[in-house]
Amino acid sequence: MRKLSTVLLAGLVVTAGAGTALAADKTEISVSRFFGACEADYGSVTDVTKANGECGIITALINKFNAESTTTVVKPEIVEWPGYDQLTARIRSGEPPVISVMHEAVISNYSSRGLLEPLDEDFAKAGIDVNDMTDAARQGVTKDGKIFAMPFDTHTWLWHINMNLFKQAGLVDEAGKPILPKSTEELFAQAEQFKQKTGKPYFISTLANETAFYTRTFDTLLYQQNADFFADPNKVNFSSPEAKGALQLLSDIYTKDYTTKNQDYAASVSSFAAGDGGVFICGTWLVDTYDQEAKKEGVALSNGYAVMPFPQIYSGSPRVWADGHSWVLLKQDLSDAQRASAIEFMKFLWDNNYEWARTGHLPIRKSIIDSDQFKALPFRADLAPLAVNGTALPSAVKLQFSIQDIEGEEVGSAMRGDKPVDQALADAESRINELLANAK
Amino acid sequence: MAASEHIVGRGIGNKLILFTVILVAVFWMLPIAWTLLLSFKPNSELMISTASAFQPPYTLKNYTDIFQSSGVFRWLWNSAVVSVGVTAGILILSSLAGYGFARAEFKGRDVIFILVLLGLAVPEQAVIIARHQIFSDLKMHNTYPAIILPGLSSAFGVFLMTQYFKAIPKDIDEAAMLDNASRFKIFWKVLLPLTIPAQATLGIFSFLGAWNDYLWPLISATKPEMFTITVGMASTQTNFAQSEGLGFLMAQAIFAGLPVFIVYLFFQKYIVRAVAGAAIN
Repeated sequence: MRKLSTVLLAGLVVTAGAGTALAADKTEISVSRFFGACEADYGSVTDVTKANGECGIITALINKFNAESTTTVVKPEIVEWPGYDQLTARIRSGEPPVISVMHEAVISNYSSRGLLEPLDEDFAKAGIDVNDMTDAARQGVTKDGKIFAMPFDTHTWLWHINMNLFKQAGLVDEAGKPILPKSTEELFAQAEQFKQKTGKPYFISTLANETAFYTRTFDTLLYQQNADFFADPNKVNFSSPEAKGALQLLSDIYTKDYTTKNQDYAASVSSFAAGDGGVFICGTWLVDTYDQEAKKEGVALSNGYAVMPFPQIYSGSPRVWADGHSWVLLKQDLSDAQRASAIEFMKFLWDNNYEWARTGHLPIRKSIIDSDQFKALPFRADLAPLAVNGTALPSAVKLQFSIQDIEGEEVGSAMRGDKPVDQALADAESRINELLANAK
Repeated sequence: MAASEHIVGRGIGNKLILFTVILVAVFWMLPIAWTLLLSFKPNSELMISTASAFQPPYTLKNYTDIFQSSGVFRWLWNSAVVSVGVTAGILILSSLAGYGFARAEFKGRDVIFILVLLGLAVPEQAVIIARHQIFSDLKMHNTYPAIILPGLSSAFGVFLMTQYFKAIPKDIDEAAMLDNASRFKIFWKVLLPLTIPAQATLGIFSFLGAWNDYLWPLISATKPEMFTITVGMASTQTNFAQSEGLGFLMAQAIFAGLPVFIVYLFFQKYIVRAVAGAAIN
C-alpha cells in the first residue's frame, strides 16, 4: 500500500512537472476582457458548441485556444464592463495587457494617441483576409487608413417582438410575420391599434437611468433620413429638420402613451419577457436569451417571439445604429514571440467568428454571414442585412462614448417632456461641440 | 433584552419609542433581506420577474458560482491585507498626530491643524489623477503599499484623536511627569489606553472604509491577482448582470459584505460604547 502511494505520488509529481515544463515552453499573453466570469459552468469546457451566451462562449473559446495552441497560453484578465477607466490607468502605469477587448466607437480615442499597434501587416502575414470583413466591421476598426483591431462582432438595434400580443392586435400577416410600420403615420396607427386591442403599450423602452436607448434610437432615425449630422467630425449638427422630426417623433410616442415609462434596463428586459408590451427596441445580445425564453411553456413569450431589424419608417435608407466589439493590441515593448502569440490568438478568434455569432451578435466576416450555417440560426436570415446597414459614427469623431452620453441626456429630456425639442437639440449640439473643441 | 424590558416597563411613551425603533430597524433591514432572498433564486427566473422571489425553487448555485471564480480567495486575502494595513496605519498615525496637536506646544500648530482639517473638504476624486501619476512614476501600482498608503492620510482620524486627547485632563500627564515618565511613556502607557473607545470607533470606520473602497483599487490594482474583493467581484459580472444575472449579483453583494458583518458582530460592543462616548464628549 505504501509502495503504491509512493508510485502514485511520484507519477503525480512527474506529470505536474511535465505540465509545468510544457506551459513554460509557451508564450503567455494577457487578454483583458469584459463579458463576465463563468468558470463554474464553463471553466473546463473546450467544446465551444456546448457553450451559450457571451460569457460562456468567450470562456470556452479561450479554453479551446489554450488546449490547442502549442506555442501560446492566453491568460484572461476579466474586468467590469466597459473597463476603459481601468485600461487607461494600466496604460498610464506602464502595465497594459497585451490584448484588450474594445468597442469600435472607442478605438479612435486610443489610436489617435498612439496607444494601439496597427495590425495590417500582421493580418496579411497571418492569412486574415481583411476583404472578408463586413463593411461595418472594417470601417469600425480602421482609423486614418490603418486597421487597429480585430473586429469580433457588430451589435445593433433591433425590434424584439411579442408575437402573441401582435396576433391579438391583428398585426401578423398570413405568412406569420409581424406587420411593421413603413412610415411614421403607420407607426402611430399601429401603435394605437395595438393599444386598443391589447390594452398595453406598443413599445417597451429603457428610459430610466441610462442614455443608450435615446442615443441609439435617435441616431437610427437620423440615419434613416440620410441626415449627415457629423459631416464635420469635429462638429455635430442637430439644427436640421430631420433631427427635429426624429425627436418630435420620440416625444409623441411618449406623450401618447405608446411606450412604457420609468423603466431602467433590467426592468424593461423583464417587462418584455413578462408580456407588458409589443416591441422592445434593444440590442442583438438579447436574441438568444428571448429565443430560449420562447421555448418555455406557460410564459408570455411561449412560441411567440420574433426579432426584426429596425423597420424603415423614413424613405431615406434602412441604416441603423451599430457598434462592435473588437480586440486591440496595446502598444508596449512586446517580444517577437509575444506579438506572434497575440496575432495567433486573433487569428483563432477570426476563424471561430461563427461561434461568437451564436450570442446574437452579427458576424464580422462576409463569408460567415453568407454561410448556410449562420442562416440556419434562428432569425439570422432576417437579421443578416444589418451587417451592411449597421452604421457607426464616422471613425474620425473622437470621444464617441462621451458624445453618446450627452446626446442621450438631451434626447431623453425632450422625449420625457422636460425640455422643448428645439431647446434639447440646441443644448445637445452646443455641449457636444464644446466637448469636441476641447478634445485633443 | 433586559434594557428593553426596562423601557417597556416605563409606560406608553417608552413603548411607543421602542415600537418606532423596531419599525425603523425592520425598514432598515428590508433591502438586506430582499438582497438575501434574491441571492437564492435562479437568474433565469429573476429575469422575468423578481416577484418570483417569494416562491420556490431556491438554489445555492449563485454562491457556489462565486467559489468557482478562480481569484475569489486571493481577492479576500488582498482585501484583508489592505483593510488591516490601512486600519493599523491610521490608528498609529492619527494617535501620534492627535497627541501632538492636543498636547505639544509648537509654532504654527493651529495653522497646521486647520490645514489637516481642510483635508476633510477635499474629495478623493479631486486628487486621484495626480495620485495615480505619483504612484505610476514610482512604479508602485499593483502592490499592497500602493493600495494602502493613500488611505493613511485620514483627516477625520487626526481630528477625532485630537479631540479625544484634549478631553483627557492634563493633570494625568503632570502626575506621570512627577514620576519621571518620559513624554513617549506618558503617551504610550498612560494616555493611549484611555483613548481605546476612540481607537475602536476609528478602527472600525477605517476598516469598513478600506474594505468597501472601490475607486482607488480599481485603477491602482489592475492585475487580477491584486484585485480587492470589491473590484474582483465587479469583474465577474456579466455585461447585463442586473437583468440576466441578478441572483448572482445579489449573492456577490451578500458574500462581499459577510466579512464586514462578522467584524461588526465581534466589535459591536466597542462600536456602541465608542459612538455613545463620542456623542457625550
